[in-house]
Amino acid sequence: MNMSTMDHFILILLSMLVAFGPRFIPLRIFSTREIPKWFNEWMKYVPVSLFTALVVKDVFMNTKTYTFVGCDYMAKILASVLVAIVAYRSRSMGLSVVLGLVAVALLAMAFPI
Amino acid sequence: MEKEQPRWAEVFQVSMPLCLSYIPIGVACGILLNAAGFNPLMTGLVSLLVFSGGAQFMIASMLTVNAPMHTILVMLFFLELRYALLGSSLSQYVRGTSKKFLYFFAVSLNDENYAVNYLKFATDKEWTPKDALMVEHYSLLFWTLSNLVGSLIGNVITIDLAIVDYALTALFLYMIMMQIKNKLTILISFFSAVLAIISMTILKSTMGLVVATLIASLAGFIIEDTLVKKGKEKGFWLKRIKPKASRKVISKSGE
Repeated sequence: MNMSTMDHFILILLSMLVAFGPRFIPLRIFSTREIPKWFNEWMKYVPVSLFTALVVKDVFMNTKTYTFVGCDYMAKILASVLVAIVAYRSRSMGLSVVLGLVAVALLAMAFPI
Repeated sequence: MEKEQPRWAEVFQVSMPLCLSYIPIGVACGILLNAAGFNPLMTGLVSLLVFSGGAQFMIASMLTVNAPMHTILVMLFFLELRYALLGSSLSQYVRGTSKKFLYFFAVSLNDENYAVNYLKFATDKEWTPKDALMVEHYSLLFWTLSNLVGSLIGNVITIDLAIVDYALTALFLYMIMMQIKNKLTILISFFSAVLAIISMTILKSTMGLVVATLIASLAGFIIEDTLVKKGKEKGFWLKRIKPKASRKVISKSGE
């Protein structure tokens, strides 16, 4: 399926709506009333669960066949360990991303990516 | 010490580290969007309107595997759902502003400017909703320009996309690390990893991500609730762990 610029434009507008809803609605509702505790408690675990699932998809899954590849992408696994340590210690987003890119580029010369 | 600095310059100084860190990620994102078929105009537009690194990388990688539009939108929704939490935790600080202001504030809210604003609101009594909106707009400007640069570079030189694509994984790893507050968060992270592998293998689609996220986050919520009811806030699983950070920490947890 090849998308035209018009399709891209529609996708962008729909994406904006999808992105806007979760950002605006709670902000609007809870700027006049209290946040229910259960909602906050549950939402606390959404980011960590989702981000982990996304990292696992990139590092351990073949996204064409959706099969588990174990340690096939060794370059990404090693780079991820490094990024995790540096991110935890430095708390710097920019450093973590740049280091991750450099590490994966160098490791890709020695290991499968 | 210059005390007569205009407000916009002061706010700009606060936003500077954030804006600079957007440059490499924005460029990488622009390159990928270009490879996914977006022209520079569309790349600029998506950066302005959606303004979310995660979402834009997701759009790029799903377009390259020819995912249908509804699948992309469902994935985006779950990816953007975390802003519900960020939005609600900032809401107490933007009380009394107009609906129009909230509208603009919500459009350009994202993870990183949230972290900056949350910290400023919590520690600086002088920090106003207007300043917070300014931080959002500075970061939006840097993000959009970096994406445009990436989009144009992508036209000129060829780059190994598998490597550029890793920028998103590094970004998510960073965000996981920022979320770690206690041993339960680490346990839930591992639980979600196992669930993600199983559910994606079974469902053969990215819906597996949604399933894993829902089950793992509910499990975290239920386990914490149970532990708190048993009075184990300071126990093995819920005791706070602090990183040995040498730099000033911008915390995302609502302390």
